[in-house]
Amino acid sequence: MMRRVLAWAGAILIGLSLGAASAWAVLDFGRASFSESYGGWTHSHAAGSAAAGPYTRAIIAREGLLALSAREALYFTIGVDDQGRPLQEACVYELTGRELDARWWSVTLYAGDSFLARNGDHAASIDASRTRAGADGVWRARVAPVRGDALHWISSRAAGRDFTLTLRVYNPMREFRPSAEMLPVLRVISCAGASA
Amino acid sequence: MKIAPKYLWAALVCAVLAHALVILATPLVLMNVAMSRVSEGSYNHWRLAPRVTEASRTIVRPSPDFAYSACVYDLAAGPVVIRTAPWDAYWSLSLYADNSDNFYVIGDREARPGADITLTRDARVEDAANAVRSPSRRGIALIRRLAPTPEAYAAVARIADEDVCATLAHTAR
Repeated sequence: MMRRVLAWAGAILIGLSLGAASAWAVLDFGRASFSESYGGWTHSHAAGSAAAGPYTRAIIAREGLLALSAREALYFTIGVDDQGRPLQEACVYELTGRELDARWWSVTLYAGDSFLARNGDHAASIDASRTRAGADGVWRARVAPVRGDALHWISSRAAGRDFTLTLRVYNPMREFRPSAEMLPVLRVISCAGASA
Repeated sequence: MKIAPKYLWAALVCAVLAHALVILATPLVLMNVAMSRVSEGSYNHWRLAPRVTEASRTIVRPSPDFAYSACVYDLAAGPVVIRTAPWDAYWSLSLYADNSDNFYVIGDREARPGADITLTRDARVEDAANAVRSPSRRGIALIRRLAPTPEAYAAVARIADEDVCATLAHTAR
């Protein structure tokens, strides 16, 4: 009798575990189907999309809960430098870009926990209204723990390892076509304790 | 060791049920968590979130360049009027159903003086000009206003009291 009860309980438990794990795996796997890459930037269609079915809806809810629709805003995220290495506080980076075919844009740094880094620097982002391009039409921003002589600065102090930058493009024009050439470029300048 | 087919079938049925439950429940659970965090138990009422700083830990990846106002609406007592005060930079009003669907969005390009809609379960019975049908009884209305500086956020705070999120019965038109 006891063996039979244990067998039923085991079957139910294993079934529930496999079902839940497979659902989570499908959501993780499905995330990739919503992603496009432009250089180091990744763009997810999931954020702000209209759901076409239960799987799509679940993926969107996990990836972009309360996000704006693509008509209002596009989101791009980068987590590696130009040499493919994860971004880290110990390095100094230069972010360069040109004006985008959009009404407004911003770039914000998030620590590994997806929140703003706790550093008290009040330099978590740059945006179109506060960024000035040079004579060559290119704006430059330093991503580093200290500002130095940079005109535009995004502080990575206390961001640790594996931080990311998110580019938000608001009210993109009809002709806005993302590409590796058009989006800002992130280059590593130096890293503490190593040559870049 | 031989496993009786009835146990395999039981495991299979449980796996299918658990799989479907996780897929269907994920958006509802995540939205419910968001609604309870935003509403703090109070519905049909705008809340202007404090300026986003490094101390903001409610929703991941907050933008420090925006002032966010949120209202968890509940249509149980009838249609809800949503109005937004004018803002001279970018703003948008987004409506999300309780399953996370973003079913409506309007911004300053379409409504320079601000939005003025009546949210209802059945758009046919309301003023067709500004009635918006909500797919669910409850959901979240979210205003984003571009305010990248402390001064701009303070300006939003001064006008946010003019935003309306209230049942039709409690609103003078």
